[in-house]
Amino acid sequence: MGDDFYVRYYVGHMGRYGHEFLEFEIAANGLLRYANNSNYRNDTMIKKEAYISPLMLKELRRIIEESEIMKEDDRTWPEPDRIGKQELEIVLGSEHICFTTAKIGTLNEVLRSNDPEGLRVFYYLIQDLKCLVFSLIALHFKIKPI
Amino acid sequence: MADFLEVDNAEVFEAEMEEESISRLKEKAKRRKGRGFDGGVSDRDEGDYDRVEDLGEGEPGPQRSIEGWILFVTGIHEEAQEDDIHDKFSEYGEIKNIHLNLDRRTGFLKGYSLVEYETYKEALSAKEELDGSDILGQTIAVDWAFVKGPRKTKKKRN
Repeated sequence: MGDDFYVRYYVGHMGRYGHEFLEFEIAANGLLRYANNSNYRNDTMIKKEAYISPLMLKELRRIIEESEIMKEDDRTWPEPDRIGKQELEIVLGSEHICFTTAKIGTLNEVLRSNDPEGLRVFYYLIQDLKCLVFSLIALHFKIKPI
Repeated sequence: MADFLEVDNAEVFEAEMEEESISRLKEKAKRRKGRGFDGGVSDRDEGDYDRVEDLGEGEPGPQRSIEGWILFVTGIHEEAQEDDIHDKFSEYGEIKNIHLNLDRRTGFLKGYSLVEYETYKEALSAKEELDGSDILGQTIAVDWAFVKGPRKTKKKRN
């Protein structure tokens, strides 16, 4: 089946409205799963899934490889705290990373951290991943208003 | 009792199998890095995932999205503009939606795009004609964005 591949991203926190989080994962067979949860105003979890094509899997791999995230390490990154947590898990070939860190609000926070270069790679990669996944979920599931 | 269980829980069974193959894949990886390995349990587990109704007979192939058919395009030149995409693709049908995302770090295009047509015929002809063509001198690849999943064993309820 070719090289192994898996991506998962989580960002969330515990608070007044329960466990509010966004999480998505893409497996090597093309299954994209997306979950968004909040109990704000008694809301419930949104869960969507779809199978993406091989070309898209290939592009996702390219984006991850070009970011060189697999070379980084989260050892000196800020630890998750009360404000929240981010988690990025990637299996690419024979390497498996699972980085956790606090929420990041701005590029400034990245630059002031103990590992600005590594955290910057993480910061931009997750933006690119979210951008792709949000486009996919919106296009596949959202109905256009009249 | 075992037979009854198997038929009724076919979907649960399949979900477990998928998770199993994901954890097998994770175990195969030789080098691990990161603080997240002693992580907690996911909170995603309540309920099934929504998906767009698969109207086909369970054969593999492209999957329709909620209101149309979506193509995925890669290899787009980073300085291309939405008009370049629109002009090329509108030859094959009326474009209902284009997403042309930016690279958040450089400000240039990330290199991929999503184009939606209302009908399968329009999308198919755009895919066949434009796969391997050029934009700003750079070759693009065009394929479906979404495909049908592996065939599920149908549940029988009497």
